[in-house]
Amino acid sequence: MADSDDKLWYKDAIIYQLHVRTFCDSNNDGIGDFTGLIQKLDYLQELGINALWLMPFFPSPLRDDGYDTADYLNVHPNYGTLDDFKRFLVAAHNRGIRVIIELVLNHTSDQHPWFQEARSSRENPKRDWYVWSDTDDKYKEARIIFLDTEMSNWAWDPISKSYYWHRFFSHQPDLNFDNPAVFEMMWQVMKFWLDIGVDGFRLDAVPYLAEREGTSCENLPETHAIVRELRHRLDAEYPKAMLLAEANQWPADVRAYFADGDEFHMAFHFPLMPRMFMAVQLEDRKPIVEILEQTPQIPDSCQWCIFLRNHDELTLEMVTDIERDYMYDEYAKDKAMRINLGIRRRLAPMMDNDRRRIQLLNILLMTMPGTPIIYYGDEIGMGDNIYLGDRNGVRTPMQWNGGWNGGFSGADPERLYSPLISNPVYGYQAINVEAQHRLPHSLLSWMKAVIAVRKSSRVFSRGSIEFLRPSNHRVLAYVRQLDQEKILVVNNLAASAQAVELDLKRYKGHVPIEMAGGNLFPRIGDLPYLLTLGPYNSYAFRLRRF
Amino acid sequence: MAEDTFLDDDFLRQLMSVGEVDLLVGIPSHNNATTVAATVDAIEECFRQNFYRDRVVIVNVDGGSKDGTPEAVLNAAVSQHENGRGLTSLRTEHCVGMRYAQPVSTGQLYRTLLAAADLLRAKACAVISPASSNVAPAWIEKLLKPVYREKFDFVAPLYGRHKFDGLLGRNLLYPMARAVFGWRVRELHPSDFAFSGGFGSYCVNQDVWHEEAIGASAETWMAITGTRPDFRICQAFLGQKMHAATTSGSDIVSAVRDAVGAFFWCMESQQEIWTARTGSEAVPTNGPDHELTIQAVRINRKRIFELFRTGASELETILKSVLSPETHAEIQRIAALDERKFRLGGELWARILFEFAASYHRAVINRDHLIQALVPLYRGRIYSFLLDHQESSPQEIEDDTEALCLELERQKPYLLERWNQKG
Repeated sequence: MADSDDKLWYKDAIIYQLHVRTFCDSNNDGIGDFTGLIQKLDYLQELGINALWLMPFFPSPLRDDGYDTADYLNVHPNYGTLDDFKRFLVAAHNRGIRVIIELVLNHTSDQHPWFQEARSSRENPKRDWYVWSDTDDKYKEARIIFLDTEMSNWAWDPISKSYYWHRFFSHQPDLNFDNPAVFEMMWQVMKFWLDIGVDGFRLDAVPYLAEREGTSCENLPETHAIVRELRHRLDAEYPKAMLLAEANQWPADVRAYFADGDEFHMAFHFPLMPRMFMAVQLEDRKPIVEILEQTPQIPDSCQWCIFLRNHDELTLEMVTDIERDYMYDEYAKDKAMRINLGIRRRLAPMMDNDRRRIQLLNILLMTMPGTPIIYYGDEIGMGDNIYLGDRNGVRTPMQWNGGWNGGFSGADPERLYSPLISNPVYGYQAINVEAQHRLPHSLLSWMKAVIAVRKSSRVFSRGSIEFLRPSNHRVLAYVRQLDQEKILVVNNLAASAQAVELDLKRYKGHVPIEMAGGNLFPRIGDLPYLLTLGPYNSYAFRLRRF
Repeated sequence: MAEDTFLDDDFLRQLMSVGEVDLLVGIPSHNNATTVAATVDAIEECFRQNFYRDRVVIVNVDGGSKDGTPEAVLNAAVSQHENGRGLTSLRTEHCVGMRYAQPVSTGQLYRTLLAAADLLRAKACAVISPASSNVAPAWIEKLLKPVYREKFDFVAPLYGRHKFDGLLGRNLLYPMARAVFGWRVRELHPSDFAFSGGFGSYCVNQDVWHEEAIGASAETWMAITGTRPDFRICQAFLGQKMHAATTSGSDIVSAVRDAVGAFFWCMESQQEIWTARTGSEAVPTNGPDHELTIQAVRINRKRIFELFRTGASELETILKSVLSPETHAEIQRIAALDERKFRLGGELWARILFEFAASYHRAVINRDHLIQALVPLYRGRIYSFLLDHQESSPQEIEDDTEALCLELERQKPYLLERWNQKG
């Protein structure tokens, strides 16, 4: 466990992402809740994760899975009460698990009282909390994000007879951060949760906070100024709290959100994710090496967040057209698997349930620079249901056992917020925690082991990375280093066995010790270091000098 | 077949790193430093434009260059990777090479390429000559696509030419191949072509590589092999081919010796196939099957005629042993004509070619000497062609070629008769 006083705790974190609704239902109403989540904290502790990222749990009409907030200062009754949340927070902290909550700064639900007031009349004091216009002509250069559902970033409000600005769904009006009152209110919201004890925020849709004519309305200096001011206040009053940016942008653009270490602590590395999938399918390290080489340096106090899958579609915004076509052709042959500019599938089905490929991707996740995020259920290889609409197919109930509702809820199955995955391959009878817990060689057991390896050295979380360039492009090899500690990671991206000669001359005299089994390998000498790897095999070697 | 290994360990190590590929483009080189970088650029551009998803490799096999050709290949590849902008391949683009310390036969270069293609299990392979100064990305695409997408086994090139270029093909190889093997393939001595993985495996595993004829012109053997019934052959029009200014130009003696030697050798080794064929069939062709321009080209006709006359006289003994008395007498007669009245027409030329082929078959004299004895007669035919077509339009030349082809097809029974003659 990392030092709990360490201000850089987020660098050593292994984050587990979940929605309260999906995890465990304690009151048999068919919906997961905080009391249920408390019951499962031992499981998460045993898995080895040390941070939880909770998706929105605020009161909401739930037209966008909670990203349409209707009250920032409470808990949606479906999931329990504020007191339940507080109990959960204490229980998590007692297990060494930090809690990151989601905050949607950019927009509210159209059901939020602020918006209801704002639309009630043009003279209402809350009117200026949102972005209004008499025409839909402004900010024409801003792209439409939800191409499948939205025709414009403006929506007509029949009540106040004007247009309001929304970068996402039309039922999610954007807040007007040019109004200082909005900023002050959102800071008060953050203080509210920080005072309760949350450890950080994942701030949703960050690039879109400000709008200016003649721009794309993304990543504007005004947006950065807002973030900087939030961070300034945070550092002054809550120095251990962490801000994580959701900015689905190219690394060079996201880099600006780290600024001089005075904006976000962490940001997602969106372009890396599809390229990990691409590399495995292509059996070629090029996509990964290329994007990491294009990734700028970030301040020492900052960290990338990396992930394989999450609650959204596997976004393909940060790839070229050629790459996107390839990803669709390889991973989303069925058009129903596609949504917006992405693929709505889980990890295991994307890997055709090939345990070796699932493990390979998780090894990459755990050994690349950045803080890894595991999406709930992926640690046991849960499947998806692409026919559930929107992105609900990757948000089905957690599969705890092979019994009633997969152990998720005691409610009638018809009452569940979502049907369970029930097909013979990925269904809860086949894929569940209880079954895998009993087997030392299950995916779950393997995940525990790989998380333990990750946590055994800060080299993974804080070290530098240097790619080796063996002539065999199917092998991705790199050395992670922190001070004198060095770890060599070698991955075979191919479905066939590979031999590789690594130029390790600079580590001459070191003895590689394989980290999973602790076995010694031959000492590194002057000659290229020959390794053979089975299909999709990976090794992590601690390089020791004896 | 028990034989020494011919791929060195370093090359094998490089191939091991490349692994299985979809497409392989080979560059057989020898002192092509001035043009080879542009060839590499064109190949990589083609990969990026057309095959950005596929596993690709460029393989350079160098026959003992002294001008830094292998280094130029690698530098060009590195520079492409470092400076590539815009459209890029999804995969690592490999460029590997094997370098023979001493000059080797072109057959050995091709054999090395074929072995590499076989080991890498390439689905489609192209060979591009770095001797051209205008290789374009479209050439490689046009050669590879029929193999990769349409499952052809061999793609022969077609070039735009000025009317007095490609005379060996127009006057000898094409009409002969058409009449003998029955397929209308224009380029039987191609320097740019493509083939399937299966075809490459077949070729590399044939016990032919010790043959002198194959060493001299494996490409001709491969093109003819492509017409075998178990393979599918097509042609692709590439456009005009320009030779690098530094190349010495074709040496007629060695060109005839290499190409005709390989052709006659193929007749010998594949007689069970061609002797049963009659007539000729067109092969699928992408683009026009010929394109002639009429730009002026300076050719020393007088010198050609002198060499014909001298050769016909000096080689009289050999020609007597190769040709029928009637044919030999006719040659003697026309050799005595005034150069302005001289003509070596299609009917006589067909007889000469068939009698040479039959004599090669019966090995009436040393086969290499026999083929060399054909050279002065070929010069006579070329001189006659040049006289006839000083002012001809492209269509008139094409009509003449067609007439020659039909004449050879008409005389095929005569070939068979001579071929099957005892003694």
